[in-house]
Amino acid sequence: MKKRLWSMVVILLLLALASSLTASCGAESEETKPSLIQCTDQIGRLVTLEGVPERIVSLAPSNTEILFALGLGDKVVGVSDYCDYPEEAKEKPKIGGYSTSDVERIVALEPDLVLIEDFHTTEILPALENLGLTVVTIDPRTLDEVLESFTLIGDITGKTEEAASLVNEMAARIKAVTDKTAGLSEEERLRTFYVMWHDPLMTVGSDTRIHELIEKAGGVNVFADTEGYPMVELEALVNTNPQVIIAGTGMGEGADLPFTFAKTEPRLANVDARLNNRVYEINTDLVGRPTPRMVEALEQLAEMIHPELFP
Amino acid sequence: MSSVGTEPTLAGQVMNYRPHWRRRVYAIAGLIIASVLVVAIATTIGSVKVPFLTTFRILLSQLPFIDITPGWVPATETIILDIRLPRIILAGLVGAALAIAGATYQGLFRNPLADPYLIGAAQGAALGAVVGFLLPIEFSAMGFGVIPMLAFTGAVLSVAVVYILARVGKTVPVTTLILAGVALGSLWGSIYSYLIINSGERIHGIIFWVMGSFSLSSWSEVAVVLPYVVIGIIVIILYSRSLNVMQLDEEQAKQLGINVERVKLILLAAATLITAAAVSFVGTIGFVGIIVPHVVRLIWGPDHRFLLPLSVLSGAIFLIIADLVARTVLSPTEIPIGIITAVCGVPFFLYLLRRRKGIVYF
Repeated sequence: MKKRLWSMVVILLLLALASSLTASCGAESEETKPSLIQCTDQIGRLVTLEGVPERIVSLAPSNTEILFALGLGDKVVGVSDYCDYPEEAKEKPKIGGYSTSDVERIVALEPDLVLIEDFHTTEILPALENLGLTVVTIDPRTLDEVLESFTLIGDITGKTEEAASLVNEMAARIKAVTDKTAGLSEEERLRTFYVMWHDPLMTVGSDTRIHELIEKAGGVNVFADTEGYPMVELEALVNTNPQVIIAGTGMGEGADLPFTFAKTEPRLANVDARLNNRVYEINTDLVGRPTPRMVEALEQLAEMIHPELFP
Repeated sequence: MSSVGTEPTLAGQVMNYRPHWRRRVYAIAGLIIASVLVVAIATTIGSVKVPFLTTFRILLSQLPFIDITPGWVPATETIILDIRLPRIILAGLVGAALAIAGATYQGLFRNPLADPYLIGAAQGAALGAVVGFLLPIEFSAMGFGVIPMLAFTGAVLSVAVVYILARVGKTVPVTTLILAGVALGSLWGSIYSYLIINSGERIHGIIFWVMGSFSLSSWSEVAVVLPYVVIGIIVIILYSRSLNVMQLDEEQAKQLGINVERVKLILLAAATLITAAAVSFVGTIGFVGIIVPHVVRLIWGPDHRFLLPLSVLSGAIFLIIADLVARTVLSPTEIPIGIITAVCGVPFFLYLLRRRKGIVYF
């Protein structure tokens, strides 16, 4: 018993050593023959894969989009009910919703890699680990970490080069926007309110990616002093007098209600955004999901907030 | 009522109905003044700092025959008159409605735990609201949007089904009413939990709705809720004597000339309608319906002729203050009001309960 414990400790130490030697995610010879691939996922777990995964299950729409963008669509054998982009993703076998992932169905698909997000770490992650599945968590909190997640997924799936070119392309497009907005003075940065939901009134705090996108697009989040997705007071909103209002709207589900609210709420009639007709809507899938499409969200936001810079 | 006094075994109960007439009349007058003051004070406090005098001048400028030259920016007037004031009035209305509905349910069922949850009204409203969140349609009727409309319908339908199921022959015994209410309430609860976990990105909004919020309250909402609440309160208060008599058992109430089944139906309908109207716009706010009537009973006794109006006033004051805390304590962020009513209300209630050492009128 004690001996086994010691050998476990030794193995763990060796693993830790190996990972530190190979820097973050090392897998040089994976194309030729199967060898161990190691990486540290975005919540700091050390994960070892036995070779390049051939059967991948994705529990989040964002992960599915990244996999398809890296040309791994053929290797995806299971996705969540909400994975709707690209079109081909809808054809894949479904393993349940966000919080209702069906562990049995995941196991039945015999995946050699399961990609999850932060949301799944409390319940589904331990269950999958106990069943001996290889699980990698993608949890990007910032735009930089979104790009890092592409590199991470590329490294463990043998798509290092594809990931690198995707990251380079996105970084270049982001830079094209920030180059123009970086030079803006304090007054030129427009006070922007993002409508997450209208009743109760909810917006985005300073630790969210949407906040970062707004700031990079040359806006100032009027509720930058909050965190997460707070419920805010209408009177506080009127008092900030936003110059631009952007409503997150989805596809279907009567989801343009936040936009309707932003355009028609009578008590907002005298804020600058309404007086100057600067109320816009943006697809929540673009701004909300940490995917390659996020750069489109940044470009759209920049056009909304600074049409003069982005004709 | 005089015939009640002739029943010797009820001497103790009757004593509770008789004393402190004057004290309780003063209490009603005092609470009316207090509620006006609370409305005025709550209007001056908010996440946006508006000077005390400016607020009062804006309020006074709305009264007829008073001419005040506006020395404030239009945004301030919007904040005071179109954001804060309707919110405070709606909080008062909802507080009054939930408190008197709670008192009515408790009297009707002779059960200290009775509230909109026991009869399935709250769960019916919540289920309706969640369906409203998920439906891909948009309409409004009689001032109700999709979500309030379905929440209102859910509450009323739920209680109607409970009432029909609880029927035994020509009577509707209280016990079967409660059991049917609890059973159907659990059923609605499980359906709406299932819908919530499958609601994807709407989940935030739904959870905030269920915990209750006066976010975005407007005069149009006040106008829709007001008639239901006012008419409901008047009907219930008119039946306060009958409720007193029904605290004896139903046989005796019948012998005393009360049409028990009719009174039960009318009170149930009135309490459910005002509950439905109250929760339809602001979500299911817990604790008010239980705690306020019990506090009133602990302080002023169980006579429904006083309990009901005192509950109306106390409920209004309590919810206005709770909403004030909800919108200011972490401003500009808001806290769901259900959390505040529990955090502020429960310790005060437990304090009263301990101080009175078990003298609870049930």
